[in-house]
Amino acid sequence: MQLNDKIRSGQFVVLGEFEPPKGIDFGGFLKNADLVKGRLDAVVVPEMANGVLKASSLGGCAFLQSHGTETVLQICHRDRNRLALQADILAASALGISNVMAVPGDDIRFGDHPQARAVNDLNLLDLLQLLKTLQEGKDMAGIELAGKPQFCTGSLLNTGASGGLLDMELDNLDQMIRLGVRFVITTPVFDIHRFQQFIKRINTLQVAVIPTILLLKSAGMARYIDRNMKHINIPPETIREIQKAPDKPKKCIQIAGELIRQLKALGMAGVMISTVGWEDKLPQVLSEAKL
Amino acid sequence: MIVAEKKPIEEIIEEIKDYKKILIAGCNECVTVCEAGGKKEVGVLASALRMYFINNGKKMEIDEVTLERQCDHEYLEEIRNQIGQYDAVVSLACGVGVQFMAEKYRRIPIYPGVNTSFMGVTEERGVWTERCQGCGQCILARTASICPISRCAKRLLNGPCGGSTNGKCEISKDLDCAWQLIIDRLKELNRLDDYEKLLPIKDWSTERAGGPRKVVREDVRL
Ligand code: SF4
Ligand code: SF4
Repeated sequence: MQLNDKIRSGQFVVLGEFEPPKGIDFGGFLKNADLVKGRLDAVVVPEMANGVLKASSLGGCAFLQSHGTETVLQICHRDRNRLALQADILAASALGISNVMAVPGDDIRFGDHPQARAVNDLNLLDLLQLLKTLQEGKDMAGIELAGKPQFCTGSLLNTGASGGLLDMELDNLDQMIRLGVRFVITTPVFDIHRFQQFIKRINTLQVAVIPTILLLKSAGMARYIDRNMKHINIPPETIREIQKAPDKPKKCIQIAGELIRQLKALGMAGVMISTVGWEDKLPQVLSEAKL
Repeated sequence: MIVAEKKPIEEIIEEIKDYKKILIAGCNECVTVCEAGGKKEVGVLASALRMYFINNGKKMEIDEVTLERQCDHEYLEEIRNQIGQYDAVVSLACGVGVQFMAEKYRRIPIYPGVNTSFMGVTEERGVWTERCQGCGQCILARTASICPISRCAKRLLNGPCGGSTNGKCEISKDLDCAWQLIIDRLKELNRLDDYEKLLPIKDWSTERAGGPRKVVREDVRL
């Protein structure tokens, strides 16, 4: 069943995130996707996450689709103007990609090409409007297209927002839904209690909220994230658990699996598992989560 | 200087129509030179607005002032004692001046009366053209003092594109090809050899693309 239908029918969807390589050797990328073939509903292919050069999301998606894996394309307004965006979106649809996710992209300054000039011709809501317009059969200039693209459209949601930022995030979400967003992938979730508080404020009948499960690698990584990533909180117990565990990778896999089970029990629409470099451990995470 | 253009009066009317008393504030520097926001333009705009509101049967008090500069604390302070009596200010300075005034007088709405366009020169009376985009790493030493960032449509750094025709840019017959100008001037300076030297790929991090910019000079700070 396609991702779109699964979301519509309210079934729990399981997504995995695989970064395309920096280079042209797609062997490992394909191998990792094949390891979990049939166990994921789709693979999310990031568009140069953290502003670090990688093969494009479009390239990665087209490659995986040609090997029989459904994908979610990330479309990012950081590096492309409205012409390039439209061109790639049309190409993606023609290549059989049916899920897209609009993302703003991390700032170029923090990536590995800080000298580059960011484009940001459109912002995130403009980009969603653009996706809607194209699906209505017109381009941004109002000119009719030969065939309409059809997508299951998604975007991002910052569950770590609080105070005024949270109100803004929720306003934004309303606008996104109006512009046709059917699913949102959240920032990594570690603290189920906090997440529950957050999710109370969202009408999950209107939009499928898909939390990100980030596979930790060590207590050090967890501490670093907790301290330095503004919108991600990792409970101290989690960090202590990893610290104390004799087999740390195994513990990290257990933590991810347990979080997934809890989120499923809460009735979330699905999860997006991000393994950042430990893609070969994804099958174990899925088993741990009983998926 | 900073070059600006007057905003259409309808746009200004739309912003201020609900007030009763406004101040129109000009600036004696850049916008005076480009004839968009100096004392003269303040007077013209004020008269036109008074006329409009009288004709439309609306009472509107309009005062005029022109400061030496609006991008300087010192001159903005000069209106501190009067500004409180106005419902709003229409500033005819560039966007810098409008913002600096708003930062100083936080309770009073400050509206822009011009569209700030670019950093440029008066080529001839009534004609202003762009010369600099503030890229933060000036390369004029290598381009015969002609800036390809602001004057080449594609911001090319190593010679013209294929669209350069008879010294004109492919986007408009009215626009000189910056690279033709550079080559001509290198010839005049007998430095055509410089043209062969490749400029490195531009680092845009010091340009606006790298985020809002700031200059801090420890040696001159108080
Ligand atoms: S406020 Fe703007 S127009 Fe006036 S002097 Fe300063 S930079 Fe020039
Ligand atoms: S090279 Fe940069 S700083 Fe120099 S004139 Fe051109 S835009 Fe201005």
